[in-house]
Amino acid sequence: MRLYGEKRANLTRFFAARLRSTAEAEDLVQDLYLKLQALGDIETRDDGSGLLFHMANNLMLDHLRSQARSSARDARWFDAKTTAIAGAPIADEPSAEDVVNGRQRLAALMRTLGTLPPKTAQAFSLHKLEGLSHAETAAAMGISRSAVEKHISTALKALMVSSR
Amino acid sequence: MIRTDNDMDAAIDWLVRLQSPSVTQDDWAEFDAWLSSSAEHAKVYDRVLAFDQEFGLLAGPDAHDRLADAPQTGAILAFKRRRRTGLWWSAGALAAAFVAGAILLPRYGPGATQETVYVTGVGERKSIALEDGTRIDLNAASRIAVRFRHGERHVSMGDAQAYFDVAKDARRPFVIDAGETQVRVVGTAFDVRHRDGAVAVAVQRGLVEVRPNQDRQAETFRLTPGQALSHVEGRTDARVVKVSSDEILGWREGRLIYRDQPLSVIAADMNRLFDRPTKLGDAQAANLRLSGVLIVDRQDAMVARLSVLLPVRTTTTAKAVTIWAR
Repeated sequence: MRLYGEKRANLTRFFAARLRSTAEAEDLVQDLYLKLQALGDIETRDDGSGLLFHMANNLMLDHLRSQARSSARDARWFDAKTTAIAGAPIADEPSAEDVVNGRQRLAALMRTLGTLPPKTAQAFSLHKLEGLSHAETAAAMGISRSAVEKHISTALKALMVSSR
Repeated sequence: MIRTDNDMDAAIDWLVRLQSPSVTQDDWAEFDAWLSSSAEHAKVYDRVLAFDQEFGLLAGPDAHDRLADAPQTGAILAFKRRRRTGLWWSAGALAAAFVAGAILLPRYGPGATQETVYVTGVGERKSIALEDGTRIDLNAASRIAVRFRHGERHVSMGDAQAYFDVAKDARRPFVIDAGETQVRVVGTAFDVRHRDGAVAVAVQRGLVEVRPNQDRQAETFRLTPGQALSHVEGRTDARVVKVSSDEILGWREGRLIYRDQPLSVIAADMNRLFDRPTKLGDAQAANLRLSGVLIVDRQDAMVARLSVLLPVRTTTTAKAVTIWAR
């Protein structure tokens, strides 16, 4: 439990990468806490960090398996232009300021994406925007998975520098 | 800032590495070590993570159509040449994606959502069903405001007591602000009482995170079923005790359950139940303390039972019920 307290923030960061949601990673790490509490005090050979990782990793795999369901729900979220709280409809529309900010950010990112080698831009787009996995992107482009990962790293670096 | 750029590159490499499906325990150990080696690493990594998540929210097999068809993006559809024909996105679709991103992410600016306020009068109780499946039982003389955003379900509690049965939704945590205290959950059932400068949280199911004094960065408590936290406003500490399930159900089943509470608190509770005021006749009465159960029925019957539990006598007129020390 003490180790959990120390590693909690880093575990959240670790799993937020794959889940692509800090909120979901926080939820996962919270579930991990419940699991640990149920276990009580346990003896481990190392400092217990490995056990934490395996338990959290299994939770994440469960989570990814059940994502088919949640993505259907997300689609409903996207479709719903309004939502309702206890019968009162709430419009979820952007303010003019949001749209302007969005456009400015977009313009900057588009410029940067345009300066990248075409394969790098394509790999980035397929993975980050189309939601293909590393393996699917590799198959679509006829390159290796590690090449895909290099392209994505390169694109992210360029985009982050330009967004500053 | 060349050093930061190196950190940034390292952070991005980590992100991409952790997003591949073949991460191992060694990756975790190295990642943990990298983060721990410099406070700057965590900061930079968090920025990369946030940046990446903006794209993540747009991703999905039908992202293109979904985003391009959103009516809010109409203004910039002029960019869009035609529907995607190959694997590469057209500039227009990408443009649409980013503007839609601004729509779907209220964190770009103040969220354009409305608040719904629920109020109960003296002696009135209300059961509220929210659109996400969450149920709220609102006790008498209470006021709460509910606001849903894309990333968060938020309740602001004035002077109020309410029982929450929160529908699980990992993508939208349920957050309650009760004065300086914040309660945060994903899906669980618990009671929050925010009255008279004190906050009490009792958990029936799930895990509840409470920050008793968020302004002064007080310690965060994680409560499990059967635990209750009490906090006096203005302080930075809190007390956690065990409670039974009956105790949490209490007020919803017409029972007021007290653990070492002053008569002033009991009188205040009765004033939320009955129009005719319950007053304390003297300071001595105000300081008497009760541990026990008070069944909620008629006002005169309740004060009669009080005089059995405590050394008090009562005088009743049409205008008020007054409790005196014996």
